[in-house]
Amino acid sequence: MYNLIKGELFKLRKNGAFWTLLCTLTILSLAYPLLYYFDSRASGTPQMTGAEFFVNFIASNSHVLKFSVAMLAGFFICTEYSSGVMKTIASSGNARWRLFTAKLIVFAAGAMAASLVFPVVGMTETTLLAGFGQLPEGGAALLIPRALGLTLLYSAAFAAMGALFAVIFTDSDKTIIFLLAFFMLTDTLWVAVGRKIPFFAELHDYSIFKLSIEIGKPGIDSGEWPAFLLVPLGTIALSAILGILAFRRKEIK
Amino acid sequence: MQEYVLRTNQLSKHFKGHTALDKVNLSIAKGSIYGFIGQNGAGKSTLIRMVAGLAYPSGGTVELFGASGEQALTEARKRVGSMIESPALFPHMTAAENLEANRILRGIPGKDCVNRMLKQVGLEGAQRKKARNFSLGMKQRLGLGIALLGDPEFLMLDEPINGLDPVGVVEIRELLRRLNRELGITILISSHILSELHLVASHYGIIHRGRLLEQLTAEELNSKCQQYLLIKADHPDRAAAVIQKELDTADFEVMQDGAIKLFSRMEDPGRVSTALFSAGLVIEKFMPMGEDLESYYTKRIGGHPHV
Repeated sequence: MYNLIKGELFKLRKNGAFWTLLCTLTILSLAYPLLYYFDSRASGTPQMTGAEFFVNFIASNSHVLKFSVAMLAGFFICTEYSSGVMKTIASSGNARWRLFTAKLIVFAAGAMAASLVFPVVGMTETTLLAGFGQLPEGGAALLIPRALGLTLLYSAAFAAMGALFAVIFTDSDKTIIFLLAFFMLTDTLWVAVGRKIPFFAELHDYSIFKLSIEIGKPGIDSGEWPAFLLVPLGTIALSAILGILAFRRKEIK
Repeated sequence: MQEYVLRTNQLSKHFKGHTALDKVNLSIAKGSIYGFIGQNGAGKSTLIRMVAGLAYPSGGTVELFGASGEQALTEARKRVGSMIESPALFPHMTAAENLEANRILRGIPGKDCVNRMLKQVGLEGAQRKKARNFSLGMKQRLGLGIALLGDPEFLMLDEPINGLDPVGVVEIRELLRRLNRELGITILISSHILSELHLVASHYGIIHRGRLLEQLTAEELNSKCQQYLLIKADHPDRAAAVIQKELDTADFEVMQDGAIKLFSRMEDPGRVSTALFSAGLVIEKFMPMGEDLESYYTKRIGGHPHV
């Protein structure tokens, strides 16, 4: 298993799409606060501090995270089917569940790395430009590590879903388009259905789609913690099991 | 007792309304080079893919190094190197990186095997070039190098010389022979180029429309290939008439270029030449010939080869 993970890490390190994604996110993360800074200077409005940037934009990071997962699923997992590399990997004498697990672990690690770019780079730049400022009251000291920790956990959950659909579709274009549509539209659909059938609204409240937007809220009650932790962990476990089952049955062309 | 590396028992594969493999009983003896012959869609790749664990049988079993059953087969596949349908490469990686990625994935210790393999397949000069910029021949060599990583005991190669230039074909042929002779690696090769297969294979399997028609050794093939006298005379029609009348046989065939293949009277070529000379014919060519693998294969499947 160790060599499989090591091999996947080697492939991720050499994956051009992964580095392009990180570079693009870094450039955008640098550009956005910079534009805000110059705009504020021109209009004379108070500058946004690092803390304000983090609190205001951590919720939006879930979109970056979903986009990153969709891109990586297409360019890191599915390209191995189109290039035929999956044939060599699958015939290497390793059980399919091991292959999928190693792929998922490294894919999730890549998604996690991408998910941290926007909050970390943006907050650092804003802090350098206008100071860190004050975090909102209510668990302020733990807000940043907690939000970043949950970002990583939710990235892994979205990555697990991405890996599952990548195995099902195996085609880069189909996977990217489907995942983007699925990640972007699921929320809206769920909310719409939830208005008519309350059960779905309840279900939506306890899904990674809803909870991933709330990970940056200033205070999380002790009663909310189980949901914040168990929902992504459950999603990872369920997606991983379904992914393994799908990959085991898959005939590789 | 004969030891087998691969045996299939009633192996079948059905797709929707189509039988890709029909109860195939194939066996590959240890140390052999097995030439797997068949038309496109005959079932060669399907069988190889099932042995490699990429596809699942609809019926029957696969036995690899005596192991059968899912877990045991998975373990046995660690002793197999394969190149199936086309070389499987990471296009954005160099030749060395492609080998390195596969080395790590398979848990093969020692980085030196990458350079050794590049040298073995003749790619030491192109180790920094990205695989997407490789010619088809270079891709084939790299694919072969990947299959050879970890010193497999059994190599499965699907069209390994596709796209290679003549020098490359000879090099790969020599490499395969050497691997077989010196390291005792058993090799399964499916190839369209039957003349090339004829130069390396010690055993053959002929598959047609999903059914294994025949398995035979090179010796058996040689003895089965029909022998004939190839005659080229200045007047093919007259020569044919002389053969029919003077030698009292109709067991011959006049080819499009006027050459005659005489399948009988092989034991007495002197009588044949005397009859032709006596009729005043000028003999341009007169030699004993044997049927080649291609002709034998064509005859065996009852039609044109199209392999």
